[in-house]
Amino acid sequence: MWQAIILVVAQTAVLLAVSPFIVGLIRKVKARLQLRRGASVLQPYADLAKLFRKQPVVSTTTSWIFTATPYILFASTLAAGLLMPVFVSRTPLAFAGNIIALVYLLALGTFFLMLAGLDAGSAFGGMGSSREAIVASLTEPAMILSIFAIALTKGSTNLSTIVHKTALLEGIVTDPSPYLMALAALSIVAIAETGRVPVDNPATHLELTMIHEAMILEYSGRYLALVEWAAGLKLLVFLTLIANVFAPWGIATSLEPTALGVGLATYLVKVSGLAVLIGVTESMFAKLRLFRVTDLLGVAFILALLGLVFFYVLRG
Amino acid sequence: MVDLGSALLLLTCFAIVAQRRLSACVDLFALQSVFLALTAALVAFLTGIHHIYIAAALTIVIKAVIIPRILKQVIERLNVKRELQMNVNVPTGLLICGALVILAFFITQPIIPLGFLLTRDSLAIALAIILIGFFTMIARKKAVTQVIGFLVMENGLFLGAAAAAYGMPLIVELGVFFDVLVGALIIGIYSHRLQDAFDSVDTSKLTTLKE
Repeated sequence: MWQAIILVVAQTAVLLAVSPFIVGLIRKVKARLQLRRGASVLQPYADLAKLFRKQPVVSTTTSWIFTATPYILFASTLAAGLLMPVFVSRTPLAFAGNIIALVYLLALGTFFLMLAGLDAGSAFGGMGSSREAIVASLTEPAMILSIFAIALTKGSTNLSTIVHKTALLEGIVTDPSPYLMALAALSIVAIAETGRVPVDNPATHLELTMIHEAMILEYSGRYLALVEWAAGLKLLVFLTLIANVFAPWGIATSLEPTALGVGLATYLVKVSGLAVLIGVTESMFAKLRLFRVTDLLGVAFILALLGLVFFYVLRG
Repeated sequence: MVDLGSALLLLTCFAIVAQRRLSACVDLFALQSVFLALTAALVAFLTGIHHIYIAAALTIVIKAVIIPRILKQVIERLNVKRELQMNVNVPTGLLICGALVILAFFITQPIIPLGFLLTRDSLAIALAIILIGFFTMIARKKAVTQVIGFLVMENGLFLGAAAAAYGMPLIVELGVFFDVLVGALIIGIYSHRLQDAFDSVDTSKLTTLKE
């Protein structure tokens, strides 16, 4: 029982500590590819510390939703992160929710963020919220279908079971086609949901090109710190999902200290590798026009559908 | 593993349907031909039938190198970069292609258990690729993309032959390859003529009366 509590606290600490690092790493990779030196990888930590010290300024035309959303967003994203195996395959909170709960916890955060964007009554906030609604409504079927494809292959929607089984090479599949399609679909969904190029440019300063940034335009001080941290957490949740569901080897399947250490180290290496890959992808492509984003998300949906079809057909 | 190669082929098919830029379509077709050659080589390796290696090498030379070069030259000279208007827009096209894949699986379901070859599951995917190539020819207006749809159909046929009968006799394969090469050359000439006559390679202009 004490073991479980310590593991959960450790997982929280790892998630909270690693997410600003991942954001900094992506920025550094992009800077290097643009032949700049770029800010230090630890800069997001300094940004968060600065924002927490500042006094927030809140518009008088907002309601309780505006001040409550940063907390709701942060809490739901962190809860989604805790449902997931990070460095231990049998995570203690796995009983609390399966992969569907994870998807909809993230959707809860997005929903409140959209409301908060509309709350201040500014034009840019409304524009950001409506664009985010387009993206979120199109990524949801793709994400759910690819998750079903994975869950059907593994026989359970519980993330712990999925990761544990794959890590121990139980029921090894001779045909990875459903996984390939699900991985392709989930990669596109991860880029869309976390607001990366080619769907949304996280470093843009032009409001007409913003999606996520436009919704959080009115935030300042500790609210902005929480929202930025939650965005980093969401990115880390998606990267962890991809790394641990599709390639969990190295994760700790028992609770011995050496296994835990190896699990943590492989987790950091995998997530950093995925972050570098995202940085390279962001540098390779230009941001898509908003109505071309629907084409890309349509591709993700079809790939997820194909993954499901492949599972049913190739099974027998 | 052969199923994995076929799944990658299907992935590139969908990428071609979703693409608007013509040079990207040509690159994706070249990539698809490379995947096809690798799948054929894998089949040849697993079954020990050596003439499939020759067919795979020919696929790479003709469909991954020569034909994309011809098509890229056509695109350069005619200065057509994008598919601006399509008969069916991209999301609808993708949904239709998904339905076509399910249809192909449905059709081949009764036949597949009767087969005894290791590549029998690829037959469904081959039929799907043929249908998607056909759909691309219908849904697009520019001549270059229609050629790519035709060539994708031919890729699907090759995969189907490899799946159902471990490849056609080599003489038939050679005939098909040179037919495809000559077909691509003719389409290149035809696109130039189209450009000269109508100042665009939009094939729907062929049905308008002379003004």
